[in-house]
Amino acid sequence: MADSYSLDCEPTTRTLLRRVLDTADPLTPRRPRSARTSAQRALLETPSSKKLRSQTKMTARRRSHKARSIDRLAHIQADGHLEEQTPRTLLKNILLTAPESSIVLPESVVKPVPAPQVVQTSRRESSRGSLELQLPEVEPSTTLAPGLLAPGRRKQRLRLSVFQQGMDQGLPLSQEPYGNADASSITSSLNLTFATPLQPQSVKRPGLARRPPTRRAVDVGTFLQDIQDTSLALAPPGDSLRTPVTTLPTDTVLEDTQPFSQPLLGRSPSVQHSLPCPSHSGAKDVERAVGHRTWSSGPRLQNSGPGKPAQLMAGKVEEVGALALGFPNTSSNISGEDGVEPLQNGVGEEAEGRMKEGLSMRGVEEATGAQGSARAEEPEEHTEVTEAEGSQGAIEAKEPEGSSGDEDTPGRTASPELASSTPEFLRARRLQFPEPAPPPSTAVYTDDYSAEHPEVGWVGLTEITLTSEPPETLSARLPPRTRIPGPRPRQDPYKTGLNHYAKLFSFYAKMPMEKKSLEMVEKCLDKYFQHLCDDLEVFAAHAGRKTVRPEDLELLMRRQGLVTDQVSLHVLVERHLPLEYRQLLIPCAFSGNSVFPAQ
Amino acid sequence: MMEEKEGAEEQQRFSYRQRLKAAVHYTVGCLCEEVASDKEVQFSKQTIAAISEVTFRQCENFARDLEMFARHAKRSTINTEDVKLLARRSNSLLKYITERNEDIAQFNLERKAKKKKKLEDENKNSVEPAEAGAVESED
Repeated sequence: MADSYSLDCEPTTRTLLRRVLDTADPLTPRRPRSARTSAQRALLETPSSKKLRSQTKMTARRRSHKARSIDRLAHIQADGHLEEQTPRTLLKNILLTAPESSIVLPESVVKPVPAPQVVQTSRRESSRGSLELQLPEVEPSTTLAPGLLAPGRRKQRLRLSVFQQGMDQGLPLSQEPYGNADASSITSSLNLTFATPLQPQSVKRPGLARRPPTRRAVDVGTFLQDIQDTSLALAPPGDSLRTPVTTLPTDTVLEDTQPFSQPLLGRSPSVQHSLPCPSHSGAKDVERAVGHRTWSSGPRLQNSGPGKPAQLMAGKVEEVGALALGFPNTSSNISGEDGVEPLQNGVGEEAEGRMKEGLSMRGVEEATGAQGSARAEEPEEHTEVTEAEGSQGAIEAKEPEGSSGDEDTPGRTASPELASSTPEFLRARRLQFPEPAPPPSTAVYTDDYSAEHPEVGWVGLTEITLTSEPPETLSARLPPRTRIPGPRPRQDPYKTGLNHYAKLFSFYAKMPMEKKSLEMVEKCLDKYFQHLCDDLEVFAAHAGRKTVRPEDLELLMRRQGLVTDQVSLHVLVERHLPLEYRQLLIPCAFSGNSVFPAQ
Repeated sequence: MMEEKEGAEEQQRFSYRQRLKAAVHYTVGCLCEEVASDKEVQFSKQTIAAISEVTFRQCENFARDLEMFARHAKRSTINTEDVKLLARRSNSLLKYITERNEDIAQFNLERKAKKKKKLEDENKNSVEPAEAGAVESED
């Protein structure tokens, strides 16, 4: 195995292990076999490396099983007499079974030529795969640094090799794969470490990519049912219409750990911004605070428009349902239909039905969503919305909302904004509107806001009377809201997030809860979060910044009494947040003179 | 000895607090009398005591918050911005404070303008000791 040795400038796990296996073997001439197996493994790894990303445990296990069986076959064929179960054979099997999608490559494909290099690269790539593959095989190596950037499997291999090496050769661990994550020896469950942010699926939530997607589907269904049952429309901030648009997979998005949206991740994918998202989503949250109701409308639009994954649609449908009760709107048309009809069927179908409108709707959504979340102020958005709406106006028949939501008044206030934002749109639908529905994007003005701006309410009333004369002031106010595309995705997940927390509430109550009380809980949560985000925005502005930073959150928690002179923010983070967030929030020194997160 | 000193200090602080509380109580009582005569309602003693106690505690909170805000803005002096941040919850109060702030700012500007004018006049006189004296007096 001279090749492998020469190529191993930096000892990878596989090479180290190979060395151990090769050098310490007095019994059989494993070298030729190991070379072959390594080549085979390399080949197996390469195609499977891509597939390793974002694999759930179960899939990983399945794959590993398949891989293992195939590898074992190959291995046995190669080695022949590898029947005895020695630790060496076990380790070899582990190495072989590392590339889970080995089933792809039949044995005949094994090519020893590119073996050494392929081994190197394939190991790197495959190591990025989910850790779960290793789980069933590599039990002893439990202590792994959080694999934010380093591939999970690689780490595991390294541990194995280290274990061996420590006894045989005492080779140092290769530090480079660990990068940031190595220093903090987070030994918690392997599952956690491998939720790397690099995984495409878990772009939004690196730490929580593992959550099973099924959970969301169920919630959506129940949520839709709840929406149907309850006549009270919640007015979640209508921001993140965009999220449903952008986030295709249902699973990862919303539920997971909504409150702890990671500051490093792009905020748009982060599903649930209902909870305080101090980092970049903070600004949007602030905007959202103003238009808490808009997102509900936003998701409706979204719902009808793009064929988002069921969950996203579900969230939107909820939104729609909630708003539909109170605020029929052009978007509500779509949403109304969505809310009423597909609630049981599932949003996806609705979305598909509206695929044709999807593009236009998307434009509208974004416009509305932005408005909703951030008090749309840009006139371009309005035109966008109006155009989109106009095109769809003819298509969608406005359906009168069934039950008048409790938020008729707030909806009215919201609708004026929408109206202003989409004057033409409103006019187009004038006849179709039984009531003024808040535009999906229109920011839902809080009660304070409506109180301060009575013309909004007045406009709402006029809307109700089907005189679509949007107030100029509102349009002037709304454009800025549409400017921010980010908040849109928050609309849908926000609502879903509230539902999620309401369910948590009912769980901890330990006694059955009425639907009305759940609604009230959601309402209170809504107001609470809006207030929270308002405060965060004001704090950031007070410090002369436009971005909400952890310092602002610390000030807020200080005012809440959670952070005191005795209890610091880091202490709270350690106490209550899962491990991945801790490593994201609390600066820790890693090897190579690097501190993560950077200060 | 140290404990005695600290005990004495504690006593002093405590008595100081009591005096402050008494002052607040007195002021609240006066205000309540005004309101009572205005609206023709009566205020019981317990009410006035409760209001004064609440006011005192709120003042403590305000002071802590103001200090936190100033520190958050990386300043060592409490500013009108901090006060405005504190009063943002109540819209009418915020408006009132903002107006007062503007009045004060304008007043300060006028005073500055007056001072500058005075300084110029005295410079025109161009008597150096007089100027120095004027400057000192202005300061």
